[in-house]
Amino acid sequence: MKWRAAILAAGVCGWLVSAAGQQPQQNFDNVKIQVTPVQKNIYMLFGAGGNVTVQGGKDGVLLIDTEFEPLVPKLMAEIKKLSDGPIQYIINTHVHGDHVGGNDAFYKLIPKNPQLPLNIIAHANVLNRLTAPGPNGAPGTSTAEHPGFPEDEYDTPYKDFYYNGEPIFIYHEPNAHTDGDSVILFRGSDVVTTGDIFTPDSYPFIDIARGGSVKGEIDALDHILELTVPADHQEGGTYVIPGHGRVCDEADVVEFRDMVVIVKDRVQDLIKKGKTLDQVKASKPTEDYDTEYGANGADRFVEAVYKSLSGK
Amino acid sequence: MKIFKQIGIAGLLVLTSVPGYSEIDFTGSWTPLFHEDYPERFPGPELGDYMGIPVNAAGRLRGDSYDADRISMVSQYECRPHGSDYNMRGSANLRISRDLDPVTQAPVAFHTFIGFQSAQRTIWLDGRPHPPEYADHSWAGFSTGVWDGNMLNITTTHLKEYYIRRNGVPRSDQAVVTEHWTRHGNYLTVIVVINDPVFLTEPLVRSENWIYDPGQEILPSNCEPAPEVPNPPGVITPHHLPGTNPFLHEVADWYGIPYDAVRGGAETMRPEYRKVMGKPEHVPEKCERYCDCGKDAGACNLH
Amino acid sequence: MRRILFAILIVGAVPALTFAQGGRGGGRGGPPPQGKAGAPVDLSGYWVSPIFEDYRWRMFTPLKGDAASVPINDAARKIVDAWDPAKDEAAGEQCKAYGAAGIMRVPGRLHITWQDDNTLKIETDAGTQTRLFHFTGQAPKEGEPSWQGYSAAKWEVTALPGGPAGVGLGMLPRQGTKSRTLDVVTTQLRPGYLRKNGVPYGANTTLTEYYDHWSEPSGQEWFTVTTVVTDPEYLAIPFVTTTDFKKEPDGSKFNPRPCTAR
Repeated sequence: MKWRAAILAAGVCGWLVSAAGQQPQQNFDNVKIQVTPVQKNIYMLFGAGGNVTVQGGKDGVLLIDTEFEPLVPKLMAEIKKLSDGPIQYIINTHVHGDHVGGNDAFYKLIPKNPQLPLNIIAHANVLNRLTAPGPNGAPGTSTAEHPGFPEDEYDTPYKDFYYNGEPIFIYHEPNAHTDGDSVILFRGSDVVTTGDIFTPDSYPFIDIARGGSVKGEIDALDHILELTVPADHQEGGTYVIPGHGRVCDEADVVEFRDMVVIVKDRVQDLIKKGKTLDQVKASKPTEDYDTEYGANGADRFVEAVYKSLSGK
Repeated sequence: MKIFKQIGIAGLLVLTSVPGYSEIDFTGSWTPLFHEDYPERFPGPELGDYMGIPVNAAGRLRGDSYDADRISMVSQYECRPHGSDYNMRGSANLRISRDLDPVTQAPVAFHTFIGFQSAQRTIWLDGRPHPPEYADHSWAGFSTGVWDGNMLNITTTHLKEYYIRRNGVPRSDQAVVTEHWTRHGNYLTVIVVINDPVFLTEPLVRSENWIYDPGQEILPSNCEPAPEVPNPPGVITPHHLPGTNPFLHEVADWYGIPYDAVRGGAETMRPEYRKVMGKPEHVPEKCERYCDCGKDAGACNLH
Repeated sequence: MRRILFAILIVGAVPALTFAQGGRGGGRGGPPPQGKAGAPVDLSGYWVSPIFEDYRWRMFTPLKGDAASVPINDAARKIVDAWDPAKDEAAGEQCKAYGAAGIMRVPGRLHITWQDDNTLKIETDAGTQTRLFHFTGQAPKEGEPSWQGYSAAKWEVTALPGGPAGVGLGMLPRQGTKSRTLDVVTTQLRPGYLRKNGVPYGANTTLTEYYDHWSEPSGQEWFTVTTVVTDPEYLAIPFVTTTDFKKEPDGSKFNPRPCTAR
């Protein structure tokens, strides 16, 4: 579990440091794409970056997130085994490189068909951040340079459409992991894809610099809990594909939500007592969760919670 | 000639038949015996009691933070069954059935049904592999069993996070649980070994006994979550902030036990711990709680 | 049709007779060997019982009057309430809690060896007690009751001895389960305590134990003893516990110490 968190951190760092579109330097030669069926015609693909959701059916293929660019050929090969239909939709859950990194490569690989155009969807804040000017006044990148950027943007609380025999809802979760998060509900298949709002094997990365906040993170998790319905005795029913980690259901989301709430409460209490960030970190408010979610991400998580709550 | 042909055919049938199976039949209805840890297993453990658990600092803090109000205020906790490892502590009556291959009559699986929250579990005996690491987890987990003489050795993975003890000492979703079942007449003995790299420093071994009870009826358990208690303003998940749980010294004072022993840990479980353990802060003159628990094979009442 | 059935009977009987001994070893028609020769598992060595269960009743002397979990009756309740360790000391009965019915629950270590081919010896460091498990198959002789009583042991056999393990009509006969359990029945016990705070067992107690050996995936060896205490005098029903012992590499921690009444 912890090595995945390390790869995620490396991937995200690559995006934080470089302008949008540059890939982190990593060797993906030995990465194997794992495929797991989730429910009905929904699958989860797992490689090195964020999980990829695949919905296949009579209309074609819908993807959620696209991993790192070097993995796209391997992803494509696995997707072809699941469905030979055209890829018509790519939805990005948020702006980070391990979730949008493959967009351009998919765009180039997918045959162009005016009757079946490729729609790349994300919240407007994702495109805004991808095209924003870089540090020190460097010009931002454009959709001309990156045809895989999500130009089919939305800026309403949610967007819905019908595909492969079921309604699909894309909900914006404001200021959660970032300010451009989307949670996607496959209403017929009863599956929710959460992006990095929910990562059962690591602390959430609340990206303050990109509009994330702990309140938004908790609100988003609570919304996911509203969308999920367990089948029997708090198990099964609505399945949840997290940003990283295994297939989950409502009970797993509750454990994660409770962890975020408890750590937030602890940090809040220390802030009330006038503790500085270093003092808060030193008191180890995540000590009972570190062995589960990885001590490596603890300081970053605590810092994000502190900044969210204190405004400093 | 005809008779020899018939013998030949019959012989072929016999020689190609699969032999009988070396196994014990666990099927039937079983009632748990509460002759060990009755107060903890049935009425419930005392708050802060981590005795006998090789718990690490993380597990201890999780237990210290635990507030049982969570079950009332967080509706998603209300109808949870126990994890399959905890169910074998005897939370409720047990029914065991099995599937046989219709052609070979080889056992394919045992199925268990525990009355509390209708917890069901399958123990596969057909050698199938466990799911991959990223598959979903369940309360029962995924169990496979292999016979060793008269003992069934079971391995369970893919468990959801649950508890080792119902006062908040957790068992993570990364645990691997092995069990060893054997039967002696009307007694079923189940040994449960929990290997949890997240919350335990070494394996936790607990063993329980069940008695054959063919007359019992186990009914399904229907549960529908409903808000029971309104959340106080601003409270999503009840818990104790570190260092604020006021109940942690109770069990030491009620039973005259050194506080350090109550905190658990592998070093407190060895016989030599008695040489180094401290003195209790308070020793009652006599038993005041659960003194007659189980008397005349009856209930476990506080007084 | 009759000829076919007859043929099947003839052919089926041959393997039935071949597998007559079912469980383990044994010549045709003879009982399986007992004692050291018949041991399906190795219980010898040094063993420790980490206290995972009944912790506050085993690691400490429980409070006076605490009989939780034990299915005692009214007669036993009177004795529990009257427990006085000073009286036991004065009477030289410090070892009352170290008798066979309670000794396996006392925190400590065991040293198990073969005293001879038909006698398995268990020495405890707690209370320096010695239990002898006799595999002779003979009834115990009349003797003085003692803390450890007389223990008759056998390796459990689940297949029918001496005869066919099952006759198959068209199917091969049941081979029988190879049991790995040691069964021990102990009688002639002196009255003692199930727990150090005076929870009693009486002179007519029969102790039945099942020793089961198992290993962790790491290879660490354990055995679990299921103990059934049947006492018509003080128990409403048989009292059943299981105690788990972990094998140690040597006896460096074996620490003989005398009985204590407190």
